[in-house]
Amino acid sequence: MNILEATNIHKSYGNKFNRQEVLKGVDITIMKGEFVGIMGASGSGKTTLLNVLSSIDKINGGTIKIEGNEISRMKEKQLANFRKTHLGFIFQDYNLLDTLTVKENILLPLSVAKTPSAVAHKKFDALAKQLGIYELKDKYPSEISGGQKQRTSAARAFIHEPSMIFADEPTGALDSKAASDLLNKLTELNDKRSASIVMVTHDPVAASYCSKVIFIKDGQIYTQLYKGDQTQKAFFDDIMKTQGVLGGVQHEH
Amino acid sequence: MNINQLIFRNFKKNVKNYYLYVFALMFSAALYFAFVTLQYDPALDATKGSIKGGAAVRAASVLLVAIVSIFLLYANTIFIKRRSKEIGLFQLIGMTKTRIFRILTVENFMLYFASLIVGILIGFSFSKAVIMILFKITDTKGIAKLHFSEEALIQTLIVFGVIYLLIMTMNYLFIKRQTILALFRVTSSTEGKTKKISILEIIIGILGIIFIASGYYISAKLFDGSFTSMNALSIAMVSILASVILGTYLFYKGSVRFLLNLMRKSKKGYLSINDVLSLSSIMFRMKSNALLLTVITTVSALAIGFLCLSYISYYSAEKSAGDYVPNDFAINNSKDAASFKAALDRKKIAYTEKKIDVIQVKANVKNILENDLESPMVDSSAMIFPMVSETSVSGVTIAQNETLFTGSNDMLQQAMAFKDSGQIELKGKKKVIPQKFIGLNRKFILSTYFTSGMPAAIVDDHVFNELKKDADPSIQKESSVYTGIDISNEDNLPKANELFGEIKFSDDSLNNSRIEMAVSQKQNMGLIMFIVAFLGLAFLITSGCILYFKQMDESEDEKPNYTILRKLGFTEKDLLKGIKIKQLFNFGIPLVIGLLHSYFAVQSGWFLFGTEVWTPMIIVMIVYTALYSIFGILSVLYYKKIIKEAL
Repeated sequence: MNILEATNIHKSYGNKFNRQEVLKGVDITIMKGEFVGIMGASGSGKTTLLNVLSSIDKINGGTIKIEGNEISRMKEKQLANFRKTHLGFIFQDYNLLDTLTVKENILLPLSVAKTPSAVAHKKFDALAKQLGIYELKDKYPSEISGGQKQRTSAARAFIHEPSMIFADEPTGALDSKAASDLLNKLTELNDKRSASIVMVTHDPVAASYCSKVIFIKDGQIYTQLYKGDQTQKAFFDDIMKTQGVLGGVQHEH
Repeated sequence: MNINQLIFRNFKKNVKNYYLYVFALMFSAALYFAFVTLQYDPALDATKGSIKGGAAVRAASVLLVAIVSIFLLYANTIFIKRRSKEIGLFQLIGMTKTRIFRILTVENFMLYFASLIVGILIGFSFSKAVIMILFKITDTKGIAKLHFSEEALIQTLIVFGVIYLLIMTMNYLFIKRQTILALFRVTSSTEGKTKKISILEIIIGILGIIFIASGYYISAKLFDGSFTSMNALSIAMVSILASVILGTYLFYKGSVRFLLNLMRKSKKGYLSINDVLSLSSIMFRMKSNALLLTVITTVSALAIGFLCLSYISYYSAEKSAGDYVPNDFAINNSKDAASFKAALDRKKIAYTEKKIDVIQVKANVKNILENDLESPMVDSSAMIFPMVSETSVSGVTIAQNETLFTGSNDMLQQAMAFKDSGQIELKGKKKVIPQKFIGLNRKFILSTYFTSGMPAAIVDDHVFNELKKDADPSIQKESSVYTGIDISNEDNLPKANELFGEIKFSDDSLNNSRIEMAVSQKQNMGLIMFIVAFLGLAFLITSGCILYFKQMDESEDEKPNYTILRKLGFTEKDLLKGIKIKQLFNFGIPLVIGLLHSYFAVQSGWFLFGTEVWTPMIIVMIVYTALYSIFGILSVLYYKKIIKEAL
């Protein structure tokens, strides 16, 4: 079952005299429970793609449907409403509120949805234990490590059980140990909670955790790799090869 | 791009960014210039003549300089901090500190003096209106002319020049002391983001509330007789000031955080959007702002308090003149009364005359006083009261053994509270007549010449005559007949007043005209009120601006938070609701505490200033609150812009 369908999306910046086209007709479908990676060189448009898919940015052409709702036609208020019920976000720089404790940060999306407080606490306990941050619940973001912050951020993305999670370079600021920890947790959550995850990354190791990797080049889809039944190692090699072709320095002679 | 272009670009950018700073500068300059123009205005001599008006205006202008310079220096610290990144960048690309300082100086110079000139022009065009207002308040007849005072210009330029130098010194020290790294970090380190609430903080919080409450408690007791000696009174006053100010400081330092923390704890980590934006954010910042908020609160309490008191006495000028002069004209000896009456007859002005025989008697009032008046000057067993017969007062019948007091105001009531009834003794030279005291009426029947501030005793005619024969000559006044003249037709009152002014009375009899008295009190209090209001306005606007700048700063700091929240799916409206609550706290707490402080201050001593308290006090407070809220609303609008840009 398709959870996200984007057809022929166009996005450009600038005014009509100086137009910079970033996305030139991208088609993407994501199935329920899929873990999708988006890769590409800097400036290829991957973050823009993530932003438009996650309704933070508007598109200039095409349609995006999430669970049958066409988000490209929604008004700002409907979008905000849609985001708080259907979507979760994880960012490279964690985006936690410094003034709130770990627990308060994680429970934030539930307060938007006006979940009863007993239910909220139960959800928090389960999720925080799963991610191994339960003991940190009364600490402030400035008192915990980067890996812990990112897990807090992940917990916040999952707490309201959204159908889609968008992650923008979640491992970008982490060391390899913390990164693989986080990715293992994400995979686990992806299995158990069957939330689809879309992750932008430029790290082939991170991408090898996905079930599908989409390569973007110059605002268009270059190719898609499926993991299928391969081992993670084999998939990683595939990704490396593709990236080599994609990002290789072009010699003019 | 060379340095000059850089300076010019910076200048252009900063005008847009710091429009409020520019506005504040222009405003201070305008205010100061208008005030100084007033000081040098010859038309003002009329108002200044009566009391030491000139000195008052000069003293006020010194205060104004203090307010303006502290404000400008403070505003500058905020703005230089905001530009620390830029300064760090200049240093990083190899500019020397001196060079950066020069850029800042030139840029500031243009900004500062351009707004100064505009401010002076605005101040000039408003100075006429200001003088007109002053004339209106003090009932002075005079035409305000728009005239440009060179002395005022020079004085303004000198004062603002000195402030400019101060600002530059501050900038110089700021740049000199900073390293590149520190400059990049400055915005994040200025607000200490402390973590947990310590026990010490809880104690501080509770102490703060206790201090304020005890200050209020003493202030309520101040004039009710608990402190009778002058010494005790002044000690009490100082301790009120100290405990309230200290309490306010501790309140901001601990109490607010402590109370909010209790609220936050009760939510067990499940915060709504309004809590996130208001509670947690205020908690983090209130502490570091403690000193600033204390100063703002204390000074606004003072401003409101003084405004209330001066307005009270202005407002009740007519009424209190009526207490001192019970008839339109009060004449203390028969000869003067006769000549005034003759003058009225000549002009054919109809009047009614009231003659009252008055003698002074000693009375033992020990039993009817609420409190012992322990003072070497006052002997409550032989106090001197004016006494009249019941026949001179219409509508009063009194038995032979009874005495009624009349003519009391709140000031007397506070200084010397009488019981409802009791035994007293009236003392002649030899005779002592015991009497039953039956009460105290408000109405005044005699002028101050006879009463010396005491209520008049009304007794049975028989008793009056007896004591009159036995009167102690050493305490009698020169005159024993009070003549009150009321003009029958009010339209003739001004004419009669003119006549009254023209007649030469015998020198030492303090004859009074009620309108004259009301006018002179209005004039004195009007000038004081005008100056206090002027300073109060200057202070109100500067402190409002400071809070606004602070909020501008905070909103920039919190912009990333709004981005996160909006990504999480909160709408602009949700965020704005939280911000409104936050601003209600940020602006409301200092305002409410300031109003409370001044309320208690006014309540403890207003009766020394006039006869009416509620109307003038409430008017002043409402006007102050309204003007102050403008800044709160402006800051919400600024936040709105920031939130809109956040996504």
